[in-house]
Amino acid sequence: MDILLQLLMSGVALGMIYAVIAFGYQSTFATSGTLNFGQGEALMLGAMVGLSLSGDILGGPFVNYWLMVPLVLLFGALQGAVVEFVGVRPAIKTKSEFGWIMSTIALGIIFRNTAENLWGRDDLPFPSPLPTEPIHIFGANVLPMELMVVVGAILMMVLVEMFNRRSIYGKAVVATSSDRDAAGLMGINTGLVITFSYALSSMSAAFAGVLIAPITLTGASMGAVLGLKAFAVAIIGGLTSGLGVIVGGILLGVAETTTGFYLSTGYKDVPGLVLLLLVLAVKPSGLFGKTTIKKV
Amino acid sequence: MHFAIPKWAAPLLGASLVTLALGAFAADPIKIGVSGPYTGGSSPMGLSMRDGVRLAAEEINKAGGVLGRQIQLVERDDEAKNERGVQIAQELINKEQVVADVGFINTGVALASQRFYQEAKIPVINNVATGSLITKQFLPPEFADNYVFRTSANDTIQSGMIVEEAVVKRKFTKVAILADSTNYGQLGREDLEKALAAKGIKPVAVEKFNIKDTDMTSQLLKAKAAGAQIILTYGIGPELAQIANGMAKLGWKVPMVGSWTLSMANFIDNAGANSEGARMPQTFIQEPNTPKRKAFIDAYMKAYHPANGRIPSPVSAAQGYDSMYLLAAAIKQAGSTEGPKVRAALENLNQKVEGVVTNYNKPYSHDNHEAISAGIPVMGEVKGGHVVYAYEEDRKNPFHTK
Repeated sequence: MDILLQLLMSGVALGMIYAVIAFGYQSTFATSGTLNFGQGEALMLGAMVGLSLSGDILGGPFVNYWLMVPLVLLFGALQGAVVEFVGVRPAIKTKSEFGWIMSTIALGIIFRNTAENLWGRDDLPFPSPLPTEPIHIFGANVLPMELMVVVGAILMMVLVEMFNRRSIYGKAVVATSSDRDAAGLMGINTGLVITFSYALSSMSAAFAGVLIAPITLTGASMGAVLGLKAFAVAIIGGLTSGLGVIVGGILLGVAETTTGFYLSTGYKDVPGLVLLLLVLAVKPSGLFGKTTIKKV
Repeated sequence: MHFAIPKWAAPLLGASLVTLALGAFAADPIKIGVSGPYTGGSSPMGLSMRDGVRLAAEEINKAGGVLGRQIQLVERDDEAKNERGVQIAQELINKEQVVADVGFINTGVALASQRFYQEAKIPVINNVATGSLITKQFLPPEFADNYVFRTSANDTIQSGMIVEEAVVKRKFTKVAILADSTNYGQLGREDLEKALAAKGIKPVAVEKFNIKDTDMTSQLLKAKAAGAQIILTYGIGPELAQIANGMAKLGWKVPMVGSWTLSMANFIDNAGANSEGARMPQTFIQEPNTPKRKAFIDAYMKAYHPANGRIPSPVSAAQGYDSMYLLAAAIKQAGSTEGPKVRAALENLNQKVEGVVTNYNKPYSHDNHEAISAGIPVMGEVKGGHVVYAYEEDRKNPFHTK
């Protein structure tokens, strides 16, 4: 029983990491129907900028962890806006179906190479702002930092949801998601809304980066695997549902830890991907996604 | 100058150029290839190896070079990629026309690239890669002569030492193996299982993990549930750190013993306090317990000023340094830079070579291309962020001679 509980807890913690990153895929998909395939790199940049500010790699620490977080969020937002401006806007303007895929992947590679040259290619330790002693919950061990990932992820999603429902700007975002052309006719600057959604997307990735860096490895290549897994989560949960990514993330995380234990650690990535295939075959819009009918 | 150096290669040529410019152009320099990963996850090993080779080459050049000629290093970054290693081997052989090559950190890269040196009859000294197969790729009767040599402790020796430490010295009977899914990890796991079988022990758990895995819970829980008393590892720094950190998270503390990569700075730094007590076979520990070692460590500190006074990978630096001296001694004895003559000289070195790892007295023969035999490496232990001798008697008795 203890073991199952531990596996579930670790799986949930891992799943919430995936969920935060997957959340970033959603916000751009909702407004523009495009995805930032450099999401993993946005996460890495957030973690590396955070480490530069609050770690000692560039002669710091300049600020402590909690003060560093808003600075990283700001950086993430700027980075996302740049991606949108350089990579996505031209594609949307020319109504190119695939241009944005190539350009966001290309930008991701550029960001990774830049980071490799700036910070080197080794994995670096990220000082933990919370104690590293595990907490015991019903016989299972959890790191305080893992709890923070869970809390931080939920908090972020709630804030974004409130912004969308309560503020006039949020309503512009929602309007653009439901019908971009109609929103544009109503006087909403949809171009700006899309830029904003990219800023939000990279901001959430950068936030995920500084949240998970103390419990994972921090380095220029940290985003690659995580970005891919998060993409799977976004597909499983549905690209249009906030609840979907949380459930999808937890499903994938728990599937990984339990398969690793009960089946074989050599196969631990398989069930998650089988789940992905199943979802795509049975409910292509994702477990919680709304089916959209494309009228031509 | 009568030979052109491409712009991009200039910084790679490094210090050797300085001595070259000062020295007379009476004789052409002797070109020696130095290949290894100078970027990427294995770069601490690659860079330390290169720095060790550079130190040795500089000293040799200062003392007048070999055969009255200066040594010129041609350094190339293989990025730990097999295909890159193959390109570099061809470039070094055909374009740079090197006399010999030292280097190779990654077993896979070595196995893919050294075929070209073998075909060109140019000796290669592997100074870091440990795969057991490396020196056994070109054996008689298929190949009359083998051009591949080594100055590192191969995986057969290492896994033997790991099992000796776990089963004989510390008397554990329930062991778990955690190895990564690369060639290095899986070949090492096979060697470990063989060594355990020789002691009549079957591991209670054999688990696998991938490069960049961030969660080791299931692997560790399986080992724990099987009642493992000790964990044997075959992997590289960052993931080994995740194992040590994962154990701390589960509140399960058993000893960790594994291949020499547990001495990598990126294991010790990423695992912090959780790396304490991890043990691994080492051919060299950064401790000045012989005059030669003291001179080497001092020279390294003076030349490269490593962070915290710690060589990123002391083993790689020492083995790199020794490989250059062995090669120089062989060229001197051969009286020529022709590959077959240098190989023959390496296989029958008359001069004793005083090295950092050990003193080499006839290190190679025609059929044995391993300079390091069982008995030369010692057990190292992580203590206070540094690798120190696990056993006091090894520290006091540093003169292992082959």
